Amino acid sequence: MIADVFAVASKEFREILAFGDARGRSKLSLIVLIVIFGIVIPLQNGREWVRSPITAMVWGWMPFLWVSGVVADLFAGERERHTLESLLATRLSDQSILFGKLLAALAYGFTLTWIIMIVSLVTINVAYRGNGFLFYPLPILLGALIFSILISGLSASIGVLVSLRAGSVRQAQQMMSVGMLLLFVPFMLIQFIPRTLLITLGNALQNSDPVQIAIGVVVFLVVLESILIAIARRLFQRSKLILD
Amino acid sequence: MNAIQTNQLTRSFGDLKAVDRLTLEVPRGTVFGFLGPNGSGKTTTIRLLLGLLDADQGEAQVLGFNTKTQADEVRTRCGALLEHHGLYERLSAAENLDYYGRIWHLSKAEREGRIRELLDPLDLYKRREEPIGRWSRGMKQKLAVARTLMHRPELIFLDEPTAGLDPVASAALRDDLMTLVSKEGVTIFLTTHNLAEAEKLCNQVAVINRGQLLANGSPAELRRRTSAPRLYVTGQGITPQVIEDLQRNTLVKRVQQQNGRLLVDLNDLTRSHEIVTQLVKVNVLIDEVYKEKVDLEDVFLQLVEEERGG
Repeated sequence: MIADVFAVASKEFREILAFGDARGRSKLSLIVLIVIFGIVIPLQNGREWVRSPITAMVWGWMPFLWVSGVVADLFAGERERHTLESLLATRLSDQSILFGKLLAALAYGFTLTWIIMIVSLVTINVAYRGNGFLFYPLPILLGALIFSILISGLSASIGVLVSLRAGSVRQAQQMMSVGMLLLFVPFMLIQFIPRTLLITLGNALQNSDPVQIAIGVVVFLVVLESILIAIARRLFQRSKLILD
Repeated sequence: MNAIQTNQLTRSFGDLKAVDRLTLEVPRGTVFGFLGPNGSGKTTTIRLLLGLLDADQGEAQVLGFNTKTQADEVRTRCGALLEHHGLYERLSAAENLDYYGRIWHLSKAEREGRIRELLDPLDLYKRREEPIGRWSRGMKQKLAVARTLMHRPELIFLDEPTAGLDPVASAALRDDLMTLVSKEGVTIFLTTHNLAEAEKLCNQVAVINRGQLLANGSPAELRRRTSAPRLYVTGQGITPQVIEDLQRNTLVKRVQQQNGRLLVDLNDLTRSHEIVTQLVKVNVLIDEVYKEKVDLEDVFLQLVEEERGG
């Protein structure tokens, strides 16, 4: 099964990167993304871009955006381009197809994040040369590593579910956009939380062990993704997909 | 052992019986034509045989495996070109074939060799690195046929492979298909409503309409079973009386007049000279006489018409 998963994932990865593709994406848009997040924003933020804990959060959340841009295409796109039925008629198991696609989306988010992280590092070191070599502190590096995987996985599993249910790529992309807006709702609601409660929460966070908080978030994400993948496995049935 | 054997295979969608008690045998090594008008149940049958859909009743064995309980085994040993070619248009021809080679666990060397082996006779090998998005439909269909053969399957399903192609591209694809098939020695289950195509390619055919099997056998058997051999006569002096006299001849099954031409269906084509003699005796001035067996299209139309008539 591992070989099958990798076969599907490598084809998906190749399609994602295909130049001038039907998704409206191209290598050019990838380059723009790398220039903005790897050069422009780091230059605006200066050396703090490498050292600040805020940066770790950026590296953690950005993969959600990268992955959501491509994941809608995974099943809805195959159905729209009439390639899904031929794939379902092969010897591949349902799980191999599902996990292959998930892996491709996850690998895309993870790889892109790390490419941009490296470009940012080069940008900062070139712009501020003479101050010694600047490098990400270990907690930021570890946080980025773990969260870029988990958040890519979260985006991929939500995207797969959406893509399985959507009738077209456009519909899947619209559903993903709505989903992304919903993710920001809690942040928008902060202004409505009573100030006293916010201060209490802030104090509680300050007094907490950041490692414990990080572990809690990791566990939450792992559980959430496991549930989403389990639902996707139940939904991914050949006979249903053929008739959709 | 047959390549395909179905027994009372039935599948409904709501009130519609897409496949209705289909019992069929496809011997190994044959090119089997599954003929029927649009919506007759051909594609559903292929989906049932590949285990992509479950039957409501009945069962099917493909290469000795039950399509419901051993669908993975069936799909491992079969290749399929379905209603749509299913190629990835952003990828090159080689990448498309390579992907399917990987799916069937062919080694890199095997995949490379196989790509050359399959694309060379189709004149596509030199263009293997091109993304296929801009290729013609005929070229894509050829590539899709090659893809079905990539893993050397024992049986391939081809669902209307020449649909939407112009006559030249259809003929080229048919030739290429026969070249590849004779080289590979596979059993083919081919659905089509192009009867000339079935006549050229298939040594066994079955006719299906509204999910029901109407006839099954070699094209020659079907022709014999459903219609009489036919004699065409062109001339002057073919009066209603002449036609009436012909109808009375025990050798004649049916007489029709079409565009001034007489179409005489006979019980025995070897005795056609008796008809010519009869016409000459009643002073018909014959310009041209030729005998032709009815083609598969006539058989098909007659079967479908009979079935509609109930």
